Amino acid sequence: MGYGSTGKYLRVDLGSGAIQEESLDESFYRLYPGGKALAGYFLLHELSPHTDPFGPDNLLVLANGLLTGSPIATATRFTAAARSPLTGGYGESEAGGYFGPELKLAGYEAVLIRGRADSPVYLSIGPGGAVLKDAGHLWGHDPEQVQDQIRTELGDTKVQVLQIGLAGEKRVLFAALTHGLRHYNGRNGIGAVMGSKNLKAVAVRAHGGAYRELAHAPQELAALGQRLAKEVRNHPQSWDLHEKGTNALVGGLQAAGILPTLNFRSGGFDGADKIKWEAYQQEILEKRGTCFACAVRCKPEVRSGGPYDLNSAYGGPEYEAVAGFGSNCGVDDLQAIAKANELCNRYVMDTISTSATIAFAMDCFEHGLIGPKETGGLDLRFGNIQAMLQAVEQIASRQGFGNLLADGSLRAAQAIGGNAVDFAVQVKGQELAMHDPRGKAMVGLGYAVSESGADHLVSIHDTLLQNPDSVGFKGAQALGLQHALPAGLLNDEKVANYFVCENWVSLEKVLGLCYFGPAPRSFMQVVDVVALVRAATGWDVDLQELLRVGERATNMARVFNTREGFNRSDDRLPARLFNPLEGGVIAGASISKVEFEQALTELYRLKGWDPASGAPTPEKLRSLELGYLIQG
Amino acid sequence: MLELHLGGHLAFYAPQKQSRFNIPIDQPTDLGLILQQLGVPLAEVAIVAVNGELVDLASTRVKPGDRVELYPPMGGG
Repeated sequence: MGYGSTGKYLRVDLGSGAIQEESLDESFYRLYPGGKALAGYFLLHELSPHTDPFGPDNLLVLANGLLTGSPIATATRFTAAARSPLTGGYGESEAGGYFGPELKLAGYEAVLIRGRADSPVYLSIGPGGAVLKDAGHLWGHDPEQVQDQIRTELGDTKVQVLQIGLAGEKRVLFAALTHGLRHYNGRNGIGAVMGSKNLKAVAVRAHGGAYRELAHAPQELAALGQRLAKEVRNHPQSWDLHEKGTNALVGGLQAAGILPTLNFRSGGFDGADKIKWEAYQQEILEKRGTCFACAVRCKPEVRSGGPYDLNSAYGGPEYEAVAGFGSNCGVDDLQAIAKANELCNRYVMDTISTSATIAFAMDCFEHGLIGPKETGGLDLRFGNIQAMLQAVEQIASRQGFGNLLADGSLRAAQAIGGNAVDFAVQVKGQELAMHDPRGKAMVGLGYAVSESGADHLVSIHDTLLQNPDSVGFKGAQALGLQHALPAGLLNDEKVANYFVCENWVSLEKVLGLCYFGPAPRSFMQVVDVVALVRAATGWDVDLQELLRVGERATNMARVFNTREGFNRSDDRLPARLFNPLEGGVIAGASISKVEFEQALTELYRLKGWDPASGAPTPEKLRSLELGYLIQG
Repeated sequence: MLELHLGGHLAFYAPQKQSRFNIPIDQPTDLGLILQQLGVPLAEVAIVAVNGELVDLASTRVKPGDRVELYPPMGGG
């Protein structure tokens, strides 16, 4: 009987070529069960402060969630982490798909990669062991070719190939990782870190076997999995994700007046009808894909062909890309949006930061801060499809004006000068996702305090918690939420709700559960998650212990950032959000600076963080069994 | 006739999980009543737009020719 974990991890030094297998015991995993917690532990212990993100000493961690690979819908995710070149702080990005489960069944919870290879290599992990192989012939090639070539070389079509693309090779600061050409660790520039190490790919093949061999109570876990798979179709929220994926959001956010439009100037887009779900379904949808053992099947894939010669090999745009390259860039052509998404996927870079940085440049262009002379002739007006697509190409290859944009909107704004920084809609250097906090206050708080920069998946969106009789709020009551509150409200009780939900979502990243699994976002109830952990591990955990696991992981990321010099002044929102929305049905809505600062102070108090610095207090660290991280 | 669209997971509750309806009405009618007849729980309705304007579900009566869009709470992702 196991505890849901192999206990083992691989340590790889690309400089010397040394590869070692190491392990940690069960008591360690109870504190740091996987994913975000495991990655944070290794980054804190093995990375000196102020390490150059592109230097050989930066540590790239691939860490599985505790439940990743188990026969549970949405238990698919792994964390990729390093010091982020985009933010300079704690860098983290999760992905679902198949890589994590394959790594688990290959025998490892994590892979730690340090050093820099003299020439391009890829790491192969499989039944025969782990070896580094030459990748000189793969450098510069597209993911589709690279995946085929590696599978051919290893003689196995089932090898999972996690790889960088052109953007990672060129160290675009928001370069991503992909595997299966469909699944992305999108945020924080982890792909650029991997590229700086001359590591093209990590190929993994399991030994065979199954998660049940690792589990404490495999039959109980299987029974839970079967029941939850049925719940997917019987629960309204997961039914919706199954039917429409994330793209149902376009119509709803437009109707609510918070669909990011023209670089977050407005919350309403005149062309919304042309890019919302119904249009998506008619114009570009081919079919839906999925992740390992997941009945939700939320991932859209587009039809090949059309005016932009779309390639279905790279999946299809999720909501973030549709709004990012659509409303936020003023584009109402789904074919063009799908092409921009495909280019990002082919070059392997984050669709959110790419599209938001282009929207920023369009705003600067329309305000006369840059012109054709600076952009090399790119007519970067909102709505110009050709200019948008050219900008994507130039960013990936760091050519022309794209070289500036490849450093993200904050650095580009600093280079452009004037008041350009007011148009950079980012936090800690990372661009906002396509969710406007002027209509959902908790999302703004999350953007501000997130250790990895603006991130929309650090807590629950307020909209789910407005009505006491709604499915969403009822799902959250098990976390201890007492009252349903209006989405735009930011009072002390809202902050308390945020805090509990943040610990819950952090736990999801530790367990390897997708955001589209647990309540209040989807079908898996709080009691189910506790039952899953108990069945997998045999530990007598309760909800409070699990919430502390999530809180511990967040605090480790916060300590990492404190060591790097981050403080309260970095937990701030971009200027644009304090301005009124210029359009949409709630035009005029803005965030109050006074209310926001009060909320931040209250959140620090609840978290046990110093109100001036934003650093965890010694008492808080001790209470989370992190006393060893107390500095000075 | 009333043109009614159930966005997001609201269609989950409707007959045959349909999302679009043309509902015959010939006089101003309580929107909540129409939704109850369709089986849509009012607690799941977060956004109501009639002819593009946000309105409050509790006090809304719709009339022939109106275009009604309804959405549930939209979470992230």
